[in-house]
Amino acid sequence: MTEETPTVRDTSGRFVKRAATAVSAMSRTSDEGVHPMSKVLFGWTEHKNIGAILFWVFAIASVALVLADLAVDRHEKIGFANSVGFYGLWGFLSFSFVVLMGWPLGRLLRRDENYYGDAGGPPGDIDPDLPDAPAGDGRGKAGGDA
Amino acid sequence: MPAFLTDMNPGWLLILAGLVAVFLKIRLLRQAITIAAPLAAILLLATAQHGVDHLTYNALGIELSLYRVDSLNFIFGFAFLIASLLNAIYALHTDNRMQDGVALAYAGAAVSATFAGDLMTLFIFWEITAISSVFLILQAGTRAAYFASMRYLAVQILSGVLLLDGIAYVWHYNGSLSLEAFTSLDQPGALIIFIAFGIKAAFPFLHNWLQDSYPKSSVVGAVILSAFTTKLAVYAFARFFPGFNELIWIGAVMTIFPVFFAVIENDLRRVLAYSLNNQVGFMICAIGVGVAGIGNPLAINGAAAHAFVHIIYKALLFMSIGAVLYRTGTAKASELGGLYRSMPWTALFCIIGGLSISAFPFFSGFIAKSLTMSAVAAEGVTDPAMIVVWLVLLFASAGVLEHSGIKIPYFAFFGRDSGKRVKEAPFNMLLAMGMAAFLCIAVGLPALVPGLGYQWLYGLLPYPIEAAGYQPFTLEHILTQMQLLILATFAFILLKRLMLYPAEKPGVILDTDWFYRKVGYGAVRWIDTVWSKISPATGAVAGRLAGRAYDHMVATFSPRGVLARNGFSGGMTLWTTVILAVVLLVSYLTS
Repeated sequence: MTEETPTVRDTSGRFVKRAATAVSAMSRTSDEGVHPMSKVLFGWTEHKNIGAILFWVFAIASVALVLADLAVDRHEKIGFANSVGFYGLWGFLSFSFVVLMGWPLGRLLRRDENYYGDAGGPPGDIDPDLPDAPAGDGRGKAGGDA
Repeated sequence: MPAFLTDMNPGWLLILAGLVAVFLKIRLLRQAITIAAPLAAILLLATAQHGVDHLTYNALGIELSLYRVDSLNFIFGFAFLIASLLNAIYALHTDNRMQDGVALAYAGAAVSATFAGDLMTLFIFWEITAISSVFLILQAGTRAAYFASMRYLAVQILSGVLLLDGIAYVWHYNGSLSLEAFTSLDQPGALIIFIAFGIKAAFPFLHNWLQDSYPKSSVVGAVILSAFTTKLAVYAFARFFPGFNELIWIGAVMTIFPVFFAVIENDLRRVLAYSLNNQVGFMICAIGVGVAGIGNPLAINGAAAHAFVHIIYKALLFMSIGAVLYRTGTAKASELGGLYRSMPWTALFCIIGGLSISAFPFFSGFIAKSLTMSAVAAEGVTDPAMIVVWLVLLFASAGVLEHSGIKIPYFAFFGRDSGKRVKEAPFNMLLAMGMAAFLCIAVGLPALVPGLGYQWLYGLLPYPIEAAGYQPFTLEHILTQMQLLILATFAFILLKRLMLYPAEKPGVILDTDWFYRKVGYGAVRWIDTVWSKISPATGAVAGRLAGRAYDHMVATFSPRGVLARNGFSGGMTLWTTVILAVVLLVSYLTS
């Protein structure tokens, strides 16, 4: 026997099924396995414009840090490091160079996973509840969560 | 405290506890030992008198100093013991006697080697670290792990053999095996010992045992392995080769090349192995800059501080990716993503590890790496070549942020949602990660209370007075470091938005191991094939030749042979004279 959710009307006169909506949201498949702390710690990352927000936050922070260089009197031992924005420019260029080198290096060095013929699977001590967990043979035997 | 305890190398306690643990079937008792042993060892170390040979032993005329603590080895041994404690807690969800025991023995061997008071004692425990650690790789129980462990063992034994060879030279020419630092690679045995240490430190072209074996070991095994072997080698370099210019350039190369491999590597544990290589490079470079006692104590402090914080934040990163592997069955970036929904605490701890290794202000990496960077910059005032090294280290700092600060947390916990919905890591794993994360933050904070925060670590360094005079939290230092890191992070966001960041793809990345795993193995198989084809023909020829040789020997030496007959003056006398003459001649020529 199911208990029917009592319905109420909002200020516009439309029906609102608050309890049913909440229960539905809690039982949706996509939310299974979601840890309650994930919303607290990282819920902000689910904002639909998070990409643009991060872009502008870091862009403004970058400009601010370079401008701050004008206000701070630095005494670097290596002369050219005293230039305004030197560290920022070096960090930006170094990071970009490393990442962009990934394209040619990937083509040059990446091979099939079985290239050496022994790709193997996961180690023996992964969660025994996993479907592809190896059968216990004494090695890496897990005794459940402590 | 009883005298036998104060004279006991804390590493021995771990080894003994490890041996007991291997045979102890009662899980609760065994796990209590794995936690109690490092705690007791820390207590022993804390009460040890510095600069004294606590236990000596004469073996084959060699005076061995089995336990000696000083300002250099203290911080390394202390870090090893903390790592051993964290590892024991991280492994509590498993019921594996061999792994528990071997982990303690391996840590104990590293601690014992660190507190060795002579080269021979160092060698003995150097070898025990090699042999015990193999079992941690084998615990994975896979075919790939088995082959990787054999390659690992071969390389580690090679290091041990070279070390013993070098020690023999030192003993022969100096008549002493003391811990005195070398002054030149031309000294007897110095170059061989340098190479032996270099193998363990994973020098360029000698490094691939690390990336080959650590990612193939068990979940717990990789965490344990990350702490000891390479840092023991770093200690050995700091002890025997401080101020060697060769180390500056080798270290600089070590900081750079793993960065390029890490960016295209798909297996996140392998990314961490490359990252380990890169971090050890900073330490090796610092040791090259520093000259113990007279030169640049800032650099030696930098190497020691970096080793301490690195042991903890690298363990934290391996723990977090280990937890992901434990719950999902994979550590491949192309199969992960969005795991913060299921494992938010693990994600948080991983981010703290990433911030620490990237040297963000108020995290442990910042206060350690600053020492090295300042020391190298100071050398740059008088030596223009050091400016190049300084720029290389600055470049590598941006590289560290890429692979460990951003790539690891982003592709495991954020980015594209893999759809994997799993349980959070077991409580014991979270506890170990939480303790490591606490240390990463606590050590990196300004000393609001004198003696705490970064000052606590600086007080443990080999040159505490010089360390006390160094101030990492200046406005200009924080500003320049934030510039480097924030603009590098902005580069990541920009490249992602422009879709210029290479996608994570499954596959194997070729490295120097290609030469022995593909070319070397192929050559051996070719020789085997050729031999099997020609062996029937060569076998017949060899058989006939052996038969004729046998017949000839019988005809000469048997009771009925030529030499048994009565010759003109007795064959035996003649041959004895000839052989004696040859021996005398050879002795004369070689003396």
